[in-house]
Amino acid sequence: MAEEKQNLLQLYRFCFLMLADAAEAQEVFHAILREAAQLAAGSEAPRDRLWFFRNARWRCLEAGEQGLQAEDVDLRQDELADWAPSQIEKLDPQQFAIWISGAPEPQRTALALFYLDEFNYRELLSVTELKPPELSKLLCDGRRQFQAWLDATLPRTEK
Amino acid sequence: MSAIQLSRKEKMLVHCAPIREERVDDRALRTALHRARKTEAFAVQQNFDTAAAALVQSIPIPEEITDWIPPDTFIAPRRRRWQKYAQNPAFLATGIAVLVIAIVGIFQLVERMNRFPGETTARRLLTTASSTHAMMLDPVKTDAGALGDFLFMKHRLVRYDVPPEFAELKTLGCRVFDDEEGQRVAQIWVVEKKMQFFLFPAERDPKTGKAREFSGWRSIEQEHWAGVVKEDKGVCFMATLRGSAKDLAPYISKKKE
Repeated sequence: MAEEKQNLLQLYRFCFLMLADAAEAQEVFHAILREAAQLAAGSEAPRDRLWFFRNARWRCLEAGEQGLQAEDVDLRQDELADWAPSQIEKLDPQQFAIWISGAPEPQRTALALFYLDEFNYRELLSVTELKPPELSKLLCDGRRQFQAWLDATLPRTEK
Repeated sequence: MSAIQLSRKEKMLVHCAPIREERVDDRALRTALHRARKTEAFAVQQNFDTAAAALVQSIPIPEEITDWIPPDTFIAPRRRRWQKYAQNPAFLATGIAVLVIAIVGIFQLVERMNRFPGETTARRLLTTASSTHAMMLDPVKTDAGALGDFLFMKHRLVRYDVPPEFAELKTLGCRVFDDEEGQRVAQIWVVEKKMQFFLFPAERDPKTGKAREFSGWRSIEQEHWAGVVKEDKGVCFMATLRGSAKDLAPYISKKKE
């Protein structure tokens, strides 16, 4: 499959999901573009489109280190529900970003990249630097934990 | 829904299944998804992921960014390196096929370049050499170079001369016989490395009757026997021994008058 062009604005969305803060996400986004421009000026323009996301990941983690850190605790998990899409529709993007940015690393990166819906399986493994079973478990647990959070936050209303 | 049981590996892959179909470019993942699509759990997962992805796409982009980066600004895809193309099965198969054709072509070209008039006779005589015993020849102890006169005087064989490169070697025996085509062939056994020499008429053009000439030495190898052949004035000389053409190379590389 031919490698696709990557919409640059998706990079901002990734930063936002990682940080749940528009100002901080914007700062990281600008910093990456500045670095890319500097490299390009020195004839070393990033050849790998994943470079932007790897760079963003580490910058976001660095920025996130200054704030509260997510604890690696066993969150409640629920089975995915048929009605989950209707629960998700009621959410604000900010709420979803808060939930993802609150996940421990590397689950945070895995979920942010996965729901950005820009990467294939190999690219996900490459940027997250995870092994297939690790990525699989983090995504599977993430879905169930998010479902449990949805059930707690937006209880299903009987029709 | 059917009760399809996914293997552990398939479950692992399905959990990582990209939301959009066009992102599925891994064969194992595609196979796992093909099976998973028949399950209800996967449908629920897909709906869940699609809804979450849609939520992500609704993240607003600040004006400060959209003001100087248009929404259709793309990160240029990485230039594919030749190694990437080489890994493509179609390119790989074509490459291998071209390589095989090239190798066969080169072999045929080399073989063609080594061919010379009289090669068929030379190969036949190489078989004769491999089955000849010294006792089958009349004992003649002299220099190989001196046998030209002997062959002319006794057998009326004109220009059946041993080339200077091999003329100084001592002979053990000699005989003259008619080959399958009725050609007069002289066979000489020499002491050194149990070499055998053959002198036989050069191949002739059926139309003109003229001998087909070729220049220099030509080598042939067949069933652990090697020979070097030279044509001179309508007569071919072949030196043979059990071994490879390398064993004969030192003799023919000598420049002798």
